[in-house]
Amino acid sequence: MRLFRFCCIAAAAVLLVSSAVLVAQDARPVARHPTNAAPKPTGTTPRTPDGHPDLTGVWNGKGDSLTGVPNQLENSGVLVDDEYSAHDIATGTKIAAFPRPAGRTFGTVATAGAEGERAASLLRRVGSNRPIYKPEYWDEVRRLDDNANEEDPSNRCMPAGIPRAAIPQSITQLPDRFIFIYPGQGGLIATQTMYRMIPADGRQHTPLQKLDGSFTGEGIAHWDGDTLVVDSWGFNTNTWFDQVGGYFHSENMHTIERFHREGNTLTWTVTVEDPDVLLQPWTSTPRVAVLNRDPHAMLPEGLPCSERDLGLTVTKEHH
Amino acid sequence: MSTRIRTLNTCAIAVASTFLCWNVAARAQGTADPTIQLRVLRAAASALGQIRMSDIGMANPPLPLVDVVTTMEIAAKGTVYIDGKPTNATYTAAFAYIPAAMRVDIKGEGGGNAVHTIQTVREEYAWNESERGAGLIPGKGTATPAMASAKSRLLQLWILPYGVVKAAIAAGDKTTISTAQGSTVITFPLSGALAGVTVTATLDAKNFITKVVTTPDNAAATDLVYEAEYSDYADHGEILTDVKSPGHIVEKLAGKPLLDVKATKVDADNPYLVFPVPPNVKAARAQAGSSR
Repeated sequence: MRLFRFCCIAAAAVLLVSSAVLVAQDARPVARHPTNAAPKPTGTTPRTPDGHPDLTGVWNGKGDSLTGVPNQLENSGVLVDDEYSAHDIATGTKIAAFPRPAGRTFGTVATAGAEGERAASLLRRVGSNRPIYKPEYWDEVRRLDDNANEEDPSNRCMPAGIPRAAIPQSITQLPDRFIFIYPGQGGLIATQTMYRMIPADGRQHTPLQKLDGSFTGEGIAHWDGDTLVVDSWGFNTNTWFDQVGGYFHSENMHTIERFHREGNTLTWTVTVEDPDVLLQPWTSTPRVAVLNRDPHAMLPEGLPCSERDLGLTVTKEHH
Repeated sequence: MSTRIRTLNTCAIAVASTFLCWNVAARAQGTADPTIQLRVLRAAASALGQIRMSDIGMANPPLPLVDVVTTMEIAAKGTVYIDGKPTNATYTAAFAYIPAAMRVDIKGEGGGNAVHTIQTVREEYAWNESERGAGLIPGKGTATPAMASAKSRLLQLWILPYGVVKAAIAAGDKTTISTAQGSTVITFPLSGALAGVTVTATLDAKNFITKVVTTPDNAAATDLVYEAEYSDYADHGEILTDVKSPGHIVEKLAGKPLLDVKATKVDADNPYLVFPVPPNVKAARAQAGSSR
């Protein structure tokens, strides 16, 4: 009888231990909260004698960079919350995430296996915030994007243009004008060095018909509270208005860029109006740059663009 | 053998049996154990090529794997059943998951007559288009509201392999994993507009989703009773992405054949596919809402 009781206790113990093991497995490992979110602003926002925020400084990366490398996932409109969750910035829709395999810690290099292969192209197109073209242009946008290796103007060493260049790497703020510098990136994203001198003296736009189309258009700045607004038109049609996607535009494109400094961060958005090709205006996902911590920081020389023989392109895979 | 040893043996067998029965019962009923769920869903997502490392550039700490399937287009040929009649047709399904939307374009010959239908859905809106993008610009095509079909059309999106993985993850601890005839089975309820519909998906040995069955709580909702079979998985893209898609799709609706098609081209590189709702469709829904 004693033995029987012992066995019953043993059976109960086995069940108890099994349940305990499952409960223990329930507990997910403590998340390290990896995220691509922009850092929270720190420090105060300096102001010029006229009371406006001072945007002067060297801003890390080419407007789409936080630490010297492009934050392309966020640029595409996706924020990683933690190891198990990400979300689409424009809609808030949850996007599934899984902890990465142990030991594979080197970005998208081949050692990561299939889950690291061909990731860049897909990831840059995950976000839902896409411009809505008129239906007759849907196929053309897709054709340009599918054939981006040959069709992307930046692959022909064209300047990125506005608004694709996004946040300038250097801003000099004067009472009546701004000077923006966008150094050439070289490498795969082979854009040329570009600069803009943008008046902020209250002048009006030149009539569109009198402007020769250019890569940066005619930009005119004004303040909307603490936000700098740069209103531009007079573009040529040799640029796309985002890094990927085949987002072409007409010469009637009108852009409204908004720069907002908070502490050591600069947030940029652009609204693109182009009634010739777009069904409705499109506003970009906000991008954030961080001020270079070195107050004496200087811009490095822009890298030259290496023109390539696009006739030798044998794949449509995107970089 | 002494009585003591016999009793010990009996008890040992009892303990083992208890554990075995408990384990088998747990598997048959399905488990919502998050560890098992995570492992199975991750394996299914990985087989489809649906998840990729997300740190373009080198982030610190390294970023997780992220679901990269947002938009896709599957072009196929085969038999499509229009009003129950088999029709040789080209079938093109363009779809997106943020927001949930799908445009199914069918061109075929039925009884000597050319057939062309474009059925579109975006979230709670459903409409038929006389041409792609109809009704968005005055004078360019006709968009006919088809709100009654919204749920059924949306369900076609969520029974696709990628939709199954996304929805199973979204269902959280309501998703259960079980085994049936040696295969892993994922069961979960849908939510939102499709609340009340349960999805059951079967995985093969390579973790590909091979069969999906939907069961609505309301047995009368026969337009929500789908059965889909997927096979011949491969990267069918002209632009290689490593995203695997079924080369052969067979669907039934309420037990009747709906389509049996083979993929001719798949664009899984998150192509530019948009689904703006025409103003008259929005107005029709608003009107239907206010008259309820």
